[in-house]
Amino acid sequence: MTLILILPAALLISLVFLFPLVHYLWLSSKAFSVMTGLVAINNNGANWIRLLNDQRFWQDIYQTTRFAITSVSLELLLAIIIAIILDQRIKGRGLIRAITLLPWALPTAVMALGWRWIFNSPYGPIEQITSLLGLEPINILSTPEITWMATVIADVWKTTPFIALIILAGLQSIPYDLYEALRLEGGNQYSAFIKITIPLISPYIFLSLVFRLAQAFGVFDLIQVMTGGGPASSTESIAMYAYINAMRFLDFGYSATIMIGSFLLLSTSCFLAYLIINQTKSLISNQKP
Amino acid sequence: MYKKISISLALGLILIVTSLLAGFASFLRVDHINVLMPAPFADSTTEIVERFNKDFHGKIKVHVTRGPMETEAMSDLAISSLILDNSPYDIILMDVTWLAKYAEAGWLVDLNQWFNKEKTEEIVTGAMIGNYYKNNLFRWPFVADMGLLYWRTDLMERPPKTPNELIEITQILQNRNKVKHGFVWQGRQYEGLSCVFLEVLKGFGGNWINGNAIGLNLPESKNAVSWLKELIDKDISPTSVTNFAEPEALQVFKSGDSALMRNWPYAWAELQKEDSAVRGKVGITTMVSLPGVKSSSTLGSWGFSIMEKSTQKDSSAKVIEYLTSVKSQEELFLNFGYTPTNIKLFKDSELIHQSEIIMDLYNALNLTVSRPQLPLYAQFSDVIQRELSAILTDKKSVNEGLSLAQKNSENILSSSAGRFQ
Amino acid sequence: MRRKSALLTIILMWSLLPLIFQLYTSLSTPEALIRPFSSISERWTLENYRQILNLNPPFWVYLFNSTILGLITTFLTLIISIPASYALARSKTKTTEGIRLILFGVALFPYVLLFLSLLQIAREFNLGNNLFALSIPYTALSLPLAILLLSAAFKEISTELEEASILEGFNLFQRLKLILLPILWPAIASTSILVFIFSWNEFPIALTWISNSNLLTLPVAMARIAGSSVYSIPYGLYAAATVMGSVPLLILVLIYQRKIVSGLTQGAIKG
Repeated sequence: MTLILILPAALLISLVFLFPLVHYLWLSSKAFSVMTGLVAINNNGANWIRLLNDQRFWQDIYQTTRFAITSVSLELLLAIIIAIILDQRIKGRGLIRAITLLPWALPTAVMALGWRWIFNSPYGPIEQITSLLGLEPINILSTPEITWMATVIADVWKTTPFIALIILAGLQSIPYDLYEALRLEGGNQYSAFIKITIPLISPYIFLSLVFRLAQAFGVFDLIQVMTGGGPASSTESIAMYAYINAMRFLDFGYSATIMIGSFLLLSTSCFLAYLIINQTKSLISNQKP
Repeated sequence: MYKKISISLALGLILIVTSLLAGFASFLRVDHINVLMPAPFADSTTEIVERFNKDFHGKIKVHVTRGPMETEAMSDLAISSLILDNSPYDIILMDVTWLAKYAEAGWLVDLNQWFNKEKTEEIVTGAMIGNYYKNNLFRWPFVADMGLLYWRTDLMERPPKTPNELIEITQILQNRNKVKHGFVWQGRQYEGLSCVFLEVLKGFGGNWINGNAIGLNLPESKNAVSWLKELIDKDISPTSVTNFAEPEALQVFKSGDSALMRNWPYAWAELQKEDSAVRGKVGITTMVSLPGVKSSSTLGSWGFSIMEKSTQKDSSAKVIEYLTSVKSQEELFLNFGYTPTNIKLFKDSELIHQSEIIMDLYNALNLTVSRPQLPLYAQFSDVIQRELSAILTDKKSVNEGLSLAQKNSENILSSSAGRFQ
Repeated sequence: MRRKSALLTIILMWSLLPLIFQLYTSLSTPEALIRPFSSISERWTLENYRQILNLNPPFWVYLFNSTILGLITTFLTLIISIPASYALARSKTKTTEGIRLILFGVALFPYVLLFLSLLQIAREFNLGNNLFALSIPYTALSLPLAILLLSAAFKEISTELEEASILEGFNLFQRLKLILLPILWPAIASTSILVFIFSWNEFPIALTWISNSNLLTLPVAMARIAGSSVYSIPYGLYAAATVMGSVPLLILVLIYQRKIVSGLTQGAIKG
């Protein structure tokens, strides 16, 4: 019985998740591009050698990681603050929650257009303000050192609400009695935060951290629409590089290699992170009697 | 018994009538032709398409899909429809750089059977470049398009001819506070940068890809790129030019903030509109070049191709013929400033009298150079865009960037060795 | 107290300012955008909205496509995930624990990386340019999270209630319909909203699966909106489209924010 109930879901999930992995592994061992007349030909691992020597791939890995780590840490920090505020009894809480949730509900591709205009030089609002203040133009979207931060800002704006929501769910699951008990013991607000709030919401924080890191690693819409990967490819992400190889260069074999390669890197680092967190966890729990 | 016969008779009658109706319907069948064009072209051809549908009423009906405006987004759309093997389009209006790739992928039809030698001879030579791949005619030109240098007639007596002259003239203007910026062009990391690069490179006497030789690390290339960098360093071009595509450049020039602009012919119509600050103060010429080197103009140009999977190729050819007729071209030129491709229009004395720029366009059209026509062009272009963008935004030196571009281009070339030409 | 309200104001500003700026842009003339601080006779305009509504195909077609796609996806996801989550919640073997772990891993997967294979599937089975077909990958992508959320909610329901109803002679379908689902309603609602929003916002797969402009979904259509004036940047148009595309979601979030939060509280990690 259980099997029948699960079967449709299992079939669909393996079609969409498992098949691609097998398909990519197969593709990554072939030359399959416009130069082979869109026919797959064995090429004895040439794709993999190319990947290892491809400066651009490694630069994109670095850029994607930089983007993911910066934006997710900022998001977490902001989200905790927002969640704590939203958890309190304030007038018009429903409306306020709805407003803070709004950025998350809007399509990324759509707001990316909006951000492109906000950061536009010289007529976007930020440059207008700097010129009004008599400052040098910043040229946000044409300075490689700055542009990626602009994409981080856009991403933080968009996804902080979602993390805040998960953490808010965590906060609301904490029974009020616990705080009451601590207060009777003479603890203040600060110690309540450290002793009760943080430990009890830490699984929620962990969940959103892992989830968002993985998603940020696959960033695509935002970059594609906001910067197109420029300037000087300084904002290009792994997913974009794979997309360009498939859809602009018609090199499907290499595109698949990029994707499976970055997937391997991602899952290895996830596994390592998991090990490290587990280690530290057991260390901490060992210290406490 | 009688009942059975009458039933079978009735059935037979129904069968005959329906098959007759079906036959009649197929006689009346209308070919529906779907055409994909970038938004500006879809808008400007609305009237012509309506007229076509009236003229061919009951035979062919054209449906135009208004694609995105940016060439790259347009190419993404076209390619994803073709990769899906389920393209809703019979005809696609194609950019010159897509041709080799699409042809090599087997997506296009040889147009020779509909457009013979007689017809090709009516087209200006410059506009016939970039329509062939491996001697097959895969694209029929719709609009000629080439890089132009727009200059302000109220700020200078004549446009600069050489790179040095350009720097001198604009610096004088800027020093006297006559104008904010000297020269705006397309410096964002995208195809437009490759177009600017090719024009300037040719003006410095260099070559990008010539057969099997890549000329990016030669002195000419270095001089050309150094000159572009110098424009930014000397503040002749604003730093933000490294994020300019055509619209941004036009926006600056149109509001009177720049003395020169590199852009395509359609900018002309935009600059003559009522809201333009430089209306009536603009002239056109081609990109500067070293003394003794011919000035060059990158060939843009859009043309129609019929898709291999289309089931209505003959009707599609009729549509293309209509849309590119002399009459349509004249209309598009007068109303939208689209450069014609038919030689008759450049010899039409009435038209020459009516338009102050048609002869300038004709001259530019004779100076066109095409970007390398290779199926892997997108890769080559991507390599140079990437390095140029790095150089222009101060991330790499000219030497460093160009030698890496040279190396990467050679790798692409060797990875596809023997499959070119 | 004052500090709190100051913080609150900052948070609200941070969330709203970019949107308000979009609203401002959508109502401004191009000249007003370029020279915002100088006096211009014609500052405000509805022209951008007029153009958006007169697009070919008209803007509401995209809204309609996205809505239909969202509804189909949500429906499919619920039908498939409810039985599966029930089964997962009711059996406690090593296998189900394993399945849960796999689901968790799959839910984390950056799905963008799947686009090339999905394109291949679309090509093989001729699924391109079909909204119903597009809902298949959407459903599959939504399933892991939906099952995790719903099975956590199922677990909260006491088995006693169900056992009592078995004694009454109810079969599984009756039990689901009459007893379990009414209790689960909040979790189902919040899951539906999450799925709907995902499908409404999805970009890369829609980008590669749909090339027929009458079938485009909102995000892809908007990224492709082009101005009718040949060579100026249609930021006003983009902004008008953003505003119009946001209104349905604004309403959705306003109505359901409580459900979204409570559904997540019920489900999030307990599973």
